[in-house]
Amino acid sequence: MRALNTAATGMMAQELSVQVISNNIANMRTTGYKRQRAEFQDMLYEHVSRIGTQTTTQGNILPVGIELGSGVKTVGTPRLMTQGTLLPTGNTLDLAIRGDGFFKVLMPDGTFTYTRDGSLQMDAQGRIVTAQGYIVQPGITIPNNSTAITINPQGQVSATVTGTTTPTLIGQLTLTRFINKAGLQSIGDNLYVETPASGAPQDTTPTVDGVGDLQQGSLEQANVDAVTEITDLISAQRAYEMNGKVITAADQMLQSTSNLMR
Amino acid sequence: MENVALIGLSRQIALGRELEVVANNIANLNTTGYKADAAVFQEFLSPVASNGQFRAADRRMSYVHDRATWHDFRPGQIQNTGNPLDVAIDGDAFLVVQTARGERYTRNGSLHINPTGQLVTSEGDAVQGDNGPIQFQNTDRDVSINPDGSITVREGANTKSDSSRGKLRLVRFAQLTQLQKDGSSLFSAPNGVAPQALQPPQKVRVLQGSLEQSNVRSVVEMSRMVEITRNYTQIAGLLQQHGDMQRSAIDKLAEVPN
Repeated sequence: MRALNTAATGMMAQELSVQVISNNIANMRTTGYKRQRAEFQDMLYEHVSRIGTQTTTQGNILPVGIELGSGVKTVGTPRLMTQGTLLPTGNTLDLAIRGDGFFKVLMPDGTFTYTRDGSLQMDAQGRIVTAQGYIVQPGITIPNNSTAITINPQGQVSATVTGTTTPTLIGQLTLTRFINKAGLQSIGDNLYVETPASGAPQDTTPTVDGVGDLQQGSLEQANVDAVTEITDLISAQRAYEMNGKVITAADQMLQSTSNLMR
Repeated sequence: MENVALIGLSRQIALGRELEVVANNIANLNTTGYKADAAVFQEFLSPVASNGQFRAADRRMSYVHDRATWHDFRPGQIQNTGNPLDVAIDGDAFLVVQTARGERYTRNGSLHINPTGQLVTSEGDAVQGDNGPIQFQNTDRDVSINPDGSITVREGANTKSDSSRGKLRLVRFAQLTQLQKDGSSLFSAPNGVAPQALQPPQKVRVLQGSLEQSNVRSVVEMSRMVEITRNYTQIAGLLQQHGDMQRSAIDKLAEVPN
């Protein structure tokens, strides 16, 4: 009985949906996290009798046919790259991006990754690094004897060195944008890598071409909305239960058939 | 075989089909833009031997025959997602999608931008505008899709004015029942059924940041499922009684008198 398989695809889809929702909820407080959504589409249809088939030689055609669907499939779990709210932290090296851009990060293996997580740090050599210690591009070294660091919305990093009163410009942060941000691949640690779907990275200075500006002393929070996630969770759970009931119903029908034979 | 068994069987096959339709609806309870199916049955009268010589002519047999499934094009609920590339259509129109198999129509407005900057569906098929596919530039941001389907963006460093990126092509059909489901939330139009462009006054609105949910009504599907299983069990019971009757007839009639 095909209803069994159809209901099974429904249960699998809802299970995946719950998995995606639970990951969103788990990352509710992760800086720069972008929520995901499970997207479903209906599967192939069997056209038992096709619409528009001729029924007589006089040219009469079937106005409606018989189409039997075979369930649901997952097409993707795209990330919703909308802006998260900014949380002021007061920390000098906390940066939030207001716009579409990403920070470019150099990995130990020489490849580049991209992140929205602006909780930056300074390493032993004074370089600006991510929380994992990877260098933020282009590498900016903060002088040893600097007392205050300012990063303006355009990404210019200035430091005031001991003994002077005027800040000196020590570097310019760049941001990277992609034509299809949702096409980036997540590799964990709040990092994304470029894929054929995302398009090529375009490096620009902040405030240019919509990459957004930088907000010093703030962090971008996750764009997960608790109410949305909980309502999605409820509807996924109920849909799962209902698919379970379909399996029970199909099973009952099979049972009554097999009971015919004594 | 006697006719009782055959008639019962025809009903059971039809119920099996109907359960498949219900199962597919329930599996697609959370599928964006999905339209529910329903099965239609009809009586199939089969002629039997009848002869005026008999005192009363045999009555014709009445079987169950599944004639069609039809799509319920009632609008689904509109869910707010906040994603700028999600659109829901308020009204009876469809978006036009260019697939490798030809032109298809959909109500699923979960759209994306591909690496070449085209507006596409989740499957990567280009969504059609009034003048071909909708193309974005590398520096476009703040996409806004207006109620009439026109798309504007802010281009590059420009903060003052919007640039147009075309208008979503929206079509409607005179006879929705003629549309065929093509999987992947798409519908296809059979030969001879042509989509019509919207005529003013348009009663269709495009809502940005929303998606149309599946229009499956879970309560209806559940009660239909209960009805199907109960009917199926009843027929099974009937067939069993008929079998018992035959067996006892064979037992009784075959008893050899001593």
